[in-house]
Amino acid sequence: MDKINIICVDDEREVLESVSRDLAYFADMFNIEECESAFECEELLEELDAQQEYVGVIISDHVMPEKSGVELLTEVALDHRFLGTKKLLLTGLATQADTIRAINNAKLDNFLEKVWDPQELQQTVKELLTEYIVEKGLEYEDYIEKLDPPTLYRLIKC
Amino acid sequence: MKKYLKYLLPVLVPFIILLLPASSFGIDGMTLVEQRVIAIFVMATLCWVLEPIPIYATSVLIIVLQLLLISDKGLWFTKSAPAEELGHLISHKALMGTFASPIIMLFLGGFFLAMAATKYRLDVNLARVLLKPFGQNPKFVMLGLMMITAVFSMFMSNTATTAMMLSILTPVIALFGRDDLGKVAFALSVPVAANIGGIGTPIGTPPNAVALKYLVDENNISFGEWMVFGVPFVVVMLFIAWLLLTTLFPASIKEINLNIKGRFLKTPKAITVYVTFVITILLWLMGGLHGMNSYVVALIPVAVFSMFKIITKEDLKKISWDVLWLVSGGIALGVGLDKSGLAANAIEAIPFAELHPLLLIAGASALCLLMANFMSHTATANLLLPLVAALGASMHSLLPYGGEVVLILAVTFAASLGMSLPISTPPNALAYASGHVETRQMAKVGVVLGIIGLLITYAMLYVLNQLSYVG
Repeated sequence: MDKINIICVDDEREVLESVSRDLAYFADMFNIEECESAFECEELLEELDAQQEYVGVIISDHVMPEKSGVELLTEVALDHRFLGTKKLLLTGLATQADTIRAINNAKLDNFLEKVWDPQELQQTVKELLTEYIVEKGLEYEDYIEKLDPPTLYRLIKC
Repeated sequence: MKKYLKYLLPVLVPFIILLLPASSFGIDGMTLVEQRVIAIFVMATLCWVLEPIPIYATSVLIIVLQLLLISDKGLWFTKSAPAEELGHLISHKALMGTFASPIIMLFLGGFFLAMAATKYRLDVNLARVLLKPFGQNPKFVMLGLMMITAVFSMFMSNTATTAMMLSILTPVIALFGRDDLGKVAFALSVPVAANIGGIGTPIGTPPNAVALKYLVDENNISFGEWMVFGVPFVVVMLFIAWLLLTTLFPASIKEINLNIKGRFLKTPKAITVYVTFVITILLWLMGGLHGMNSYVVALIPVAVFSMFKIITKEDLKKISWDVLWLVSGGIALGVGLDKSGLAANAIEAIPFAELHPLLLIAGASALCLLMANFMSHTATANLLLPLVAALGASMHSLLPYGGEVVLILAVTFAASLGMSLPISTPPNALAYASGHVETRQMAKVGVVLGIIGLLITYAMLYVLNQLSYVG
């Protein structure tokens, strides 16, 4: 089975832990990574790419020191190695200008506001992972119990 | 240790078979080539059962090992024994040719038709129109759904049909009450109908294609001839499945509305798809009247859809090459058994003739049904059909019951009837993923339908033989 990662980025330790906790549902089949800054995330991305592991979803906060979430996700969007990686912005403090940049440049796949509903976060990640796996042509059968059935039915064509 | 067994066994066991002295197999005058064919066959069995590698990879491995070990252009040391001991090497062209055998071309044509139909939304639009007359009573909506699923899966892959129908069903199932058993019935109706529907045509499901490889010469069955018995079988099975599902899991909801959006496309490309679809099917049904066999007809849509860019370069990449390769490997396995002379030799050595022919038909199809519940239907057919075809051809006591055709068809139908577990078929896995069905409910329906299906198969073959339609 291919290793698929879910990366969470947030400069606040408690938020990071709480996101991880809400995603524990995926932990037995997917690898959940925590990063405390955009730079740490970039390093991790390099490492994962070197290991030829998949990055399914990146969940990032926006307001972080040194480098913002939108900047990080824009870089990921332009990096051909992470084509198809789903990007979710999780923030309570994005201005309209930030939001516009996030949509236009970072090509966000989803936007959730802090404070988030754990159920909603889990469902969103479920859908994004399903899309990622089918679009990448990975063996969806291997992960089927953690995927979103309606999304799966919609995407399977052969 | 147990974890590694699935990797060790498929390597070790065939290797031991290769090293054994030729006399240890109990077959007189067994050649080296025949011994290698046995080793490859055993490897294929272990790989398909234990799945250490993807099932299509096993098929490719079969063909490559055959080319290396038993072909006229294989490794040097494989050809160094004296001719008598060595046996018949097989032409490398024949082995490579399995990748493009007429049966593969028939399937390719089927893929093109299915892909174009999906792309130009012929499938969804037909489903919308055809479901209308079934009204809003859950019972009859389900019957409609099952009939349409079955018809589609005769021409499309069972998996694609299931995914499409389940996506239509999902919003409807959400409206059912929490304890309404009707949910189970609806979620199960689609994979059941898709699995059964595949039996209806030669291109409905890969095991049928594998069977065609062994239905040659006087046993040849054309596309239309297959449908003459395949479709009635599907109709009867569907009706039984419907009765079973509505009795076991009655819906308490009184009315359901399927809401399928869209309208028929009327662009020139879409019309080309409709016309080509209809003409291809008509040509298939006409049998030999126009001089073309079904394999030749299958390539017409391939040409038309490529010419008009209905299937583009990008679409071409999405064709299920893995399914085509999986079937090729099965065909190659049969070529190996047959051309090496092993099939003929082994059957002389084993006293099958003393076995009652009906016992053989029942035993082989029951074994097939059992295997198909736990592994890929195509892999099951790949393994069993070459064996039963060889057996059937040599058993004269089988003739009064219809000969090898009856045996081959019984096993082929049985392969499609394995549907009692989520792992039995991809359609089952998709329906199980919906979360509305428990394994035990699926098993109950699958086991009953499997056994009834086998009995109906026997009855049908008996009637066909009495009418001298087969055999």
